[in-house]
Amino acid sequence: MNGYQRIADMTYAYNADIGLSYSSPARGVWNIVHIGTLVPQSHQIFVCPTSCLRGVVLTTAELGAMDQMSTITVGEDNILEGDMEEALYNGVVKILSRLKERPRMVMVFTSCIHHFLAVNYQRVYKILRREYPDIDFIDCYMDPIMRRTAPPDPTLRRQITRVLRPLPKDETSVNIIGNEFRTGEHSDLYMYLVNNGMTVRDITRCDTYDEYLQMGSSIANITFHKPAAKAGKDLEARLGQKWLPVRTTYDYDVIDADMKRVCEALGIPAPAEKTIQEERRKTEELAEEVRTLLGDTPLSVDYTAVDEPLMFTLWLHEHGFRVESCFIENFTEDKAVFEALQKKLPDLKVYSSLNWNMRTVDRGHEGMITAVGQKAAYFNDTNHFVDVVESGDMYGYRGIRRMLELIREAYRNEKDMRSLVQVKGWGCHCG
Amino acid sequence: MKDWHTHVFTSTYTADVSGVCSMLYELGGMTVLHDPSGCNSTYTTHDEPRWYDSKSLMFISGLDEMTAVLGDDSVLIRDVVKAAEDLKPRFITLCGASIPHIIAFDYRGAAKLIEKETGIPVLPVATDGLRSYVSGCGLAMKAWIRRFGNKQAEKIPGRVNILGVTPIDFSRSENAEAMRRAFEEEGFSVRVFAMNETFEALQEVYQAECNIVVSAAGRSPAQYLWKTAGIPYVEGLPSGRDMVRKIADAVRTGKCTSVCQDYDPDGRTLVIGEEIFACTLASQLHGQPLWPDVDEGLDEDVLLEKMEQADRIIADPLFQYGRRGDAAFIPFPHEGYSGRIFRKDIPVFTGNEFDIERYIRERK
Repeated sequence: MNGYQRIADMTYAYNADIGLSYSSPARGVWNIVHIGTLVPQSHQIFVCPTSCLRGVVLTTAELGAMDQMSTITVGEDNILEGDMEEALYNGVVKILSRLKERPRMVMVFTSCIHHFLAVNYQRVYKILRREYPDIDFIDCYMDPIMRRTAPPDPTLRRQITRVLRPLPKDETSVNIIGNEFRTGEHSDLYMYLVNNGMTVRDITRCDTYDEYLQMGSSIANITFHKPAAKAGKDLEARLGQKWLPVRTTYDYDVIDADMKRVCEALGIPAPAEKTIQEERRKTEELAEEVRTLLGDTPLSVDYTAVDEPLMFTLWLHEHGFRVESCFIENFTEDKAVFEALQKKLPDLKVYSSLNWNMRTVDRGHEGMITAVGQKAAYFNDTNHFVDVVESGDMYGYRGIRRMLELIREAYRNEKDMRSLVQVKGWGCHCG
Repeated sequence: MKDWHTHVFTSTYTADVSGVCSMLYELGGMTVLHDPSGCNSTYTTHDEPRWYDSKSLMFISGLDEMTAVLGDDSVLIRDVVKAAEDLKPRFITLCGASIPHIIAFDYRGAAKLIEKETGIPVLPVATDGLRSYVSGCGLAMKAWIRRFGNKQAEKIPGRVNILGVTPIDFSRSENAEAMRRAFEEEGFSVRVFAMNETFEALQEVYQAECNIVVSAAGRSPAQYLWKTAGIPYVEGLPSGRDMVRKIADAVRTGKCTSVCQDYDPDGRTLVIGEEIFACTLASQLHGQPLWPDVDEGLDEDVLLEKMEQADRIIADPLFQYGRRGDAAFIPFPHEGYSGRIFRKDIPVFTGNEFDIERYIRERK
């Protein structure tokens, strides 16, 4: 498959998201509808032109969650009349009067066109909040035109936490913020906190809105992914909850440092050196076992599957795996990792899945390849792939071992790639 | 108070930009949606069953805030020129959504500049993302015919064009083929705009003695051909042997007419869907049709009231959300409404073999 650059020939400033782009059929990454649907007892209202509504409505329909979403279509008449505020207000009132169950929280998504027409939606929300004091109205945004400065995904991860209010602090309670998937046995941090008597709150574990609001009582917020940073910072400023970002990485030292920092902040002992060494030993053993199994079979990695695709690639290479290609749209990891790969694996093929050339490449791979991620699977046209997005429920050494198990499973067994990658919102059962 | 904007329970029909892409999909061009993001993936994910198995060129421009504020069209022009040099499409189409519309993006000007630089014909199709796919299909087809149709072509006796055929309304290519076969059996030679046809075959659009409009998407190109070349058109969906013959007979008269207007506006069977489809089926079932307006879609209040009053409803399964009353519901999926969700359940509903009564019986 052509259309790649050798990493040795690239600069760290690489960013493929510069303009004209292609949309591949691999659709597992979550969009704002999936994220919004995590909030229990909530309702989403999208206020957009037809062309923007189509995607979110059918995302919702595919989730079987049409009862959690309504729309207000922006028409030419609104543009000409300048009555966007009235249309928004009247639409929300009408929707609330028709719903069978009164939502506890309403997310109103305005779109690109509202920015350009300078719509005063905050005034509408102010009125709505006064008229419906039992409902939390949250301003949300489906405005990809702002993606350079305020992308919709991180903004929404922050906005859904805006309903959390100051509560008396519970010193044994900590939140996970901005995760899409419920973490558990494949996360070192989750297991360690629980085993040390902490209550770990996470929106993915909340069945009711009241339960969700209790997250205001935690003393700290842990974020695992970069798009959650806005939420972490915001909660620290608003509620005084300490923000504890950790990296979902394959760098052992970073894992250990992050774990230690979180434990110190929460007032619990950090993992003992002996425990760390034992975790590392188990991880190395499994890595060797899986590497032996794969032998010379190449791997292809993509950025939708793991948070740090370059670090992951480097880790695999250093553990004897044969990584052939990496699908990535820009370099956001440490420059040192990029440079290490340039030195140690100069022939690594780097693809941009957004590039227009990817539409016409001959998808496929000569001989067997195992992919990590849907895009890598699609472009290599392989049924041997790890089907996961945004690192799934994995973190730390347990997470690395889980990934190794998934690679082993993908190597041994085929999946129906064509069907699986086209499903929107991998693992989203929130509907 | 009339309010077509608010939809508490129901979905939305796909937009004009998807119509443009769908109509031109098989003709070897490159379509560029001028928009920040989303329209392209929505189209390719929900509206385009051919996406996975073909390499048709459909891209999004990736318009961003500063480019829009500054009105810097050079970004789009540069990108399109570069991609065209790489991919060498037969032609290029520019369409767009609401932001280009409100900043008054000059489609014709940009098209001229790109064409000048690449030497590749460029079709400006000024969509706005506010209207339904019916508008986009029509605009795209008209632009294509205007640019590529061979106006010098001599009429061929018995030649008809079937207008308004895209997967948005017909999903499976079997539906396009069933229509072709049906009219060929009636003695016509057929061109299907635009599924399972080549660029060259469709260039001979002016050879037709008559156009058959099988969906509302085909109406504006038909009107264009009537006004500019005097080619009459007949509206109707060839769904079942009787309808095929009825359309064929109307075609032979050489007059503009519609053969799907025999419905009962107060009928107790409600057929919801694309206009020609709904009118044709309603005419066959003595029912009443309900179709979306190009600008306003379906008014949900009107929709729910009509559904409540009906004894029997034939509609896309997504219309079941929020419905009141106890009318019998016969699911008839429509890609333009529910996208890919019920794609596998979409029948071959064109041609001589389809029988709507049998379809209903089998689903009761």
